[in-house]
Amino acid sequence: MAKRDLTMEQQLSRGPLDLPFLMLVVMLTVIGVIMVFSASYATALNEGKAATHYFIRQAIFAGMGLAAMYVTSKINYQQFRWMSIFVLGIAIALLVLVLIPGIHTNRADGVKRWIRGIGPIPDFQPSEVAKLGVTLYFAARLSKRHSEKKRRYDTHTYAGMTLQKLDDWGFMELLPYGLILLGILILMYLEPHLSGLILIFIPAAAILFAGGVKLRWFAIGGGAVTALLALTMQGYQSTRILVWQDPWAYPQNGGYQIIQSLYAIGSGGLFGVGFGQSRQKQLFLPEPENDFIFSIVCEELGLIGAGLILALFVMLILRGYWIALHARDRFGSLLAVGITTLLAVQVFLNISVVTNFLPTTGISLPFFSYGGTALIIQLMEMGIVLSVSRQIPVTKQG
Amino acid sequence: MDHRPDRRKEPDRSAQDRKANRTILIRTLVLMLVFGVAAFAPLFFRLYDIQIRQHNDFQERAIQQQTMDNAVSANRGKIKDANGKVLARSATVYDVIFSPNDFVKVQELWEETYTDSKGNVLSGKKDYYPRPEAETVAQALAEILGKDPERILKSVEKTGSYYEVLANRVESETVEALRELIREQHLSNSLVLNPTSKRYYTYGSLAAQVIGWVNWKNDNKGAWGMEALYEEELAGHTGRVVTAKNGRGREMRYSFQDYYDATDGNDLNLTLDATIQLYCERILEKGIEMFEVQEGGFVIAMDPKTGAIKAWANSPGYNLNDPWAVVDPVLSQYLTAVQEDPASNEEAYNTALGQMQNKQWRNKAINDTYEPGSTFKSMVLAAALEEGVVNENSTFYCPGFYVVGESRISCSKKDGHGSQDLAKAVANSCNPAFMMIGQALGAEKFYNYLEDFGFLEKTGIDMQGEENSVVWDRKKFTAPSTQQNTYLATASFGQGMQVTPIQLITAASAVINGGHLMQPYVMESITDPDGNVIRKNEPTEVRQVVSEETSARCRTILEGVVDGGTGKRAYVPGYRVGGKTGSSETLESRRGIDHTIVSFLGFAPADDPQIVVLLMYDKPKPASPGSNLTSRDFYISGGNMAAMMAGELMEDILAHMGVERHYSDAEKAMIDVTVPNLVGQTAQIGQEAAVGAGFGVRTVGEGDTVTAQIPVGGANIPSGSEIVLYFGEEKPTDLVNVPDVRGQSAERAQQTLAQVGLYLKVGGNSNYMSKEAIVAGQSINVGTSVERGTVVECQFSDNTMTD
Repeated sequence: MAKRDLTMEQQLSRGPLDLPFLMLVVMLTVIGVIMVFSASYATALNEGKAATHYFIRQAIFAGMGLAAMYVTSKINYQQFRWMSIFVLGIAIALLVLVLIPGIHTNRADGVKRWIRGIGPIPDFQPSEVAKLGVTLYFAARLSKRHSEKKRRYDTHTYAGMTLQKLDDWGFMELLPYGLILLGILILMYLEPHLSGLILIFIPAAAILFAGGVKLRWFAIGGGAVTALLALTMQGYQSTRILVWQDPWAYPQNGGYQIIQSLYAIGSGGLFGVGFGQSRQKQLFLPEPENDFIFSIVCEELGLIGAGLILALFVMLILRGYWIALHARDRFGSLLAVGITTLLAVQVFLNISVVTNFLPTTGISLPFFSYGGTALIIQLMEMGIVLSVSRQIPVTKQG
Repeated sequence: MDHRPDRRKEPDRSAQDRKANRTILIRTLVLMLVFGVAAFAPLFFRLYDIQIRQHNDFQERAIQQQTMDNAVSANRGKIKDANGKVLARSATVYDVIFSPNDFVKVQELWEETYTDSKGNVLSGKKDYYPRPEAETVAQALAEILGKDPERILKSVEKTGSYYEVLANRVESETVEALRELIREQHLSNSLVLNPTSKRYYTYGSLAAQVIGWVNWKNDNKGAWGMEALYEEELAGHTGRVVTAKNGRGREMRYSFQDYYDATDGNDLNLTLDATIQLYCERILEKGIEMFEVQEGGFVIAMDPKTGAIKAWANSPGYNLNDPWAVVDPVLSQYLTAVQEDPASNEEAYNTALGQMQNKQWRNKAINDTYEPGSTFKSMVLAAALEEGVVNENSTFYCPGFYVVGESRISCSKKDGHGSQDLAKAVANSCNPAFMMIGQALGAEKFYNYLEDFGFLEKTGIDMQGEENSVVWDRKKFTAPSTQQNTYLATASFGQGMQVTPIQLITAASAVINGGHLMQPYVMESITDPDGNVIRKNEPTEVRQVVSEETSARCRTILEGVVDGGTGKRAYVPGYRVGGKTGSSETLESRRGIDHTIVSFLGFAPADDPQIVVLLMYDKPKPASPGSNLTSRDFYISGGNMAAMMAGELMEDILAHMGVERHYSDAEKAMIDVTVPNLVGQTAQIGQEAAVGAGFGVRTVGEGDTVTAQIPVGGANIPSGSEIVLYFGEEKPTDLVNVPDVRGQSAERAQQTLAQVGLYLKVGGNSNYMSKEAIVAGQSINVGTSVERGTVVECQFSDNTMTD
């Protein structure tokens, strides 16, 4: 189809991709795949697999992911407005499904986070879909916040008066978001999957924040979360805190991984021990290709290499917000805010955990940690941001 | 769904829109600051903190877990004697370590491999072997190691443990059996053989206190003696192999490896001669047994010209291969007494055991001091001759005592030696004469010589734990007073001060070697494993104490001690032996307790000394309290005990050193010679052969060939005896009665026996029969009928010597 035959909409969605964002994503993906190779081969060999076992898989997923990203970026993101409710619906359905025995994978610890793969479809976490669903739906709904008609309540009844009052405070408009989040909270609490919850709640909160929800609700929400955390800190969670405070005192109770991670990072020094030369990956650091891959990056590439990669992440995040600031409409902005915040939180939490800056939670490092579905979804999310970037109005020249 | 652009909305909406857009803009900027900047700043700092500030700490800890640091033990050097005989060497042995925890894993692996999910045993599977059971393994181990199966099983069943030592220092044959067991039972993960080193001492107890031993309980470090003194040289440097390992503890040779080569220890070549050492130890034990010596003793043999120690024997002794065991009869007797004492307990026994062990380990001849007694007179003699205060023509009158101030110091011969010249005074070991000599020297000069002969300082010999002497200080010794006179007087005959045996023999060497005080040494050289000399001890002269001429005069006078003096029992025919006897008083003996130290200082040949020996026996047991005789009728004195042993020892040593004998005519007559078989020879040849062998010949009958002879060929009789050759005539076959020769001197006994056609052979420990020696016993009882020509061996004793 020739360009002139396109509608305005179509023309807009064929605008140029944001090149810096694209470059940063590609760079991080490529570096990530290479690091998976370096970090995984000792584990692979120990498991009796080929040294390149994880690398080849990750490379294929990366290829697929980049393709998916490109395809996604070609989609006019306005389409996501209507899609969002379905994505959210599917996500919630999957979150229910994963709790059913036989569908989730059997783990020794009884945690039900993964849906068993069928045939070529690998195991995957429904929470990955939920992140996307919540982001899309919240962005779509909030972008229309100001165009929605004000509801009227019968102020002659007490109930109506209360509702009116609540609406004036901004509670009523929050109710659907709150209910969705509460549902997800309950479902994921049953898995249980705390880190997944964090990754859903914080971007959701960021979208609500950017969308203009009254600040007092954030204060209330923040307070509630703090109280909830304080309550759950008893028991199981409190060991995490103790381990965090002094991993050497609890080598058996999870301290081991942190200790090994610190050894890896610490022995990297300024310049690192050299690519491929990590010794901590030789079965000292458990699952070095996964959540703790950044420790191996630090060991092999040193402060300079790790700092550079961290800087790439920061640049990507800043560029993501830049796209949000320049997006053509509020939906685009909120989408970019949600996805960028999700990325930022993941990177921040992952690196905080491996450096023992925060207590352990199982959060993988985007583009780096081994895992097919996660990488593909990650890249598709980047594709959405890129799609938003296509419709950024070109600044007038001259 | 609404996806129309906002700009189509009504105008009043657009104001609201702008407000909403502004909100998004501002709030997104806030998010950008929070999630893009604020959140990551601490992470950069955190990385800096871990990677730079804590880098060394973490790296060190990481390397510690990432590397296997295996020690490569260096071979400990050998210890050899002067002729290259190996006295101590090391070999590899193994500690046997069992890991019960890993044994459980061995069993689990078996179950994984040879049972299916229902627990059925898949005995048909390839390489099947029966499940390794704790009982079977323990039984087999106990059998191989020779231990109690119950105890082994107890160790094997400690499933929480990773490290159970089943046996230490197992030797190679046993190790082979263990390796076989490991193969059979698939135990390679749970039974570990750790190589370590064991020291073997070729000659067991030989020179034990000198060589010393390594303590395997303390990292195979030298604990005593040369092993401890030359630890640095012998031990070498332990090497290391640093290998990378993975998290499972498996080595990763291909990825990283670092060698620090082990340097083998150097060999230590001692001046000791194992043969001379053996002679010394033999004579020491013999004397201890013979004289019922209570506190052990020692023998030092030294090259007087260089100060090189040729032998150094101590008693009580012990076996270097099992240094904790008490084997000495006197010490074990004491231990048994403690053990059997109903009043003692285990603690008391252990204390006693510790004391006895210490007693056998210590080197008496250097760790302890003693009052040298008359042997010290050699130095006084040399000093006096050097200073010219006496000469060979000086005469001394001994009334049996000497008065110093108000005290009267008596001579060993209570009725006195009478008038005697210098040589005689020395030969008699006359104390009054020496007090006069000391007086003539004067305290000042006397003390100078004490100093010059090295009695005020340690000799500096390379041996553990050298003690210094206990001597008056110069001021006290030389300040004029009655007391001082006593000091000088007693010092003149070697009492009242304590010196170490090594000081004494070193000083005595200077007296006889031309006046050179040599520093004694035990290490001849240190060679690396390839035999290259790294260090060598050259003889070191500390100073010249007396002139060559004085030394020569001393040698002559001291030879007189053995040639008819108190040391005559040390006489060895064919060798010119010189020396000085000594019977030391001790602190105990002055308190009335029977405790005499008998000693002999000897050297040979007297004209050119090759060897100097010092023998000492501490506390021979008198037959009854206060008695001068032991239960076997040995008079307790250096001349009767130490000198007798010294003579036998010197003969062995000199023969071993290849020093030629030169017999005087008188001596020739006393040497035992084997009678040749002359029957069937012609008269002329027979006669010549007999005379050539040193015999006198008497012929009976007339004929051309010898038909019979007395004594028969092969008999040992003193040369100079007469043998009878029969030519045609019948040899008388009548029997003769053995006469009683007891109480007769050697000469008379020989005559008495010859009268009836019998021959005398000198038995006992000395080849010499002094004029005073009388027959104490004869090998064939009086009145026994024997053939003519029979040899009667007679034991002589001479209890006239006091010193």
